[in-house]
Amino acid sequence: MGLSRRDVFRAGGAALASALFSPASARAQDEAVQLVERLTGRKPTVSDRLHLVMPAVFPTGYTVPMDLDIDSPMTEDDHVKRIRVFAPQNPLIEVASFNFVPQRSIARVSTRIRLAEPQYVLAVAEMSDGTLLMTKTFVDVATNGCI
Amino acid sequence: MNPVAPRVLLPSAATKGEIFKVKSIINHQMETGLRHDAQGRVIPRKIIHKFVCRYGGAEVFSVDLHEAISANPFIEFYLRATESGRLEFIWEEDGGGVYRLEHQLAVA
Repeated sequence: MGLSRRDVFRAGGAALASALFSPASARAQDEAVQLVERLTGRKPTVSDRLHLVMPAVFPTGYTVPMDLDIDSPMTEDDHVKRIRVFAPQNPLIEVASFNFVPQRSIARVSTRIRLAEPQYVLAVAEMSDGTLLMTKTFVDVATNGCI
Repeated sequence: MNPVAPRVLLPSAATKGEIFKVKSIINHQMETGLRHDAQGRVIPRKIIHKFVCRYGGAEVFSVDLHEAISANPFIEFYLRATESGRLEFIWEEDGGGVYRLEHQLAVA
């Protein structure tokens, strides 16, 4: 059985689709890493120790719930010093910075934020050993939350 | 104009080592810093830009807030019960306003 024209097109289409989609998400990841590097002056590592939980779709950009939780023993030797949150598509991209104290607070916080348009929200954790961990999550808002 | 109303919700007693939740909110008259008055002058920004929690005199948690925090900032966080004592909650507003609340925690 030889290759039909349809098979060739199908294979080409799949290759094209993967060229369009998988590298696109990799590109979004790279862009997020580069942005954080530009903002903080250091290169972050994408980590699954950070849990940034936000609704995938939310009707209003004025008060989007945000839960942040980081896996950390919060001991003197191993703790989260600070978490910074960025909304890169907002007119002012810095959202907040949460500061923790080992043994006293745990690296978990909830608040409500404004988003100007659908976008990736970034969370960057500064760890006690000097490393920078990051994660991102996409939030689709229907209305602009910035006046 | 409504008076500024800071509120916190947390237990009054805990066992040593326990992690407890603190809910905080402050209702105040904010200004984004993006609006103009009738004469076309910018109305100065007035947001809560800092929140600090002190426990037994030591800072245990704080937040630097920017414009993208929703109006009347709500912050929920978690502390470890280490000793009986006083918790202080301090909100700082642009223009010099400072609002405080205190709470006694008994740790057994």
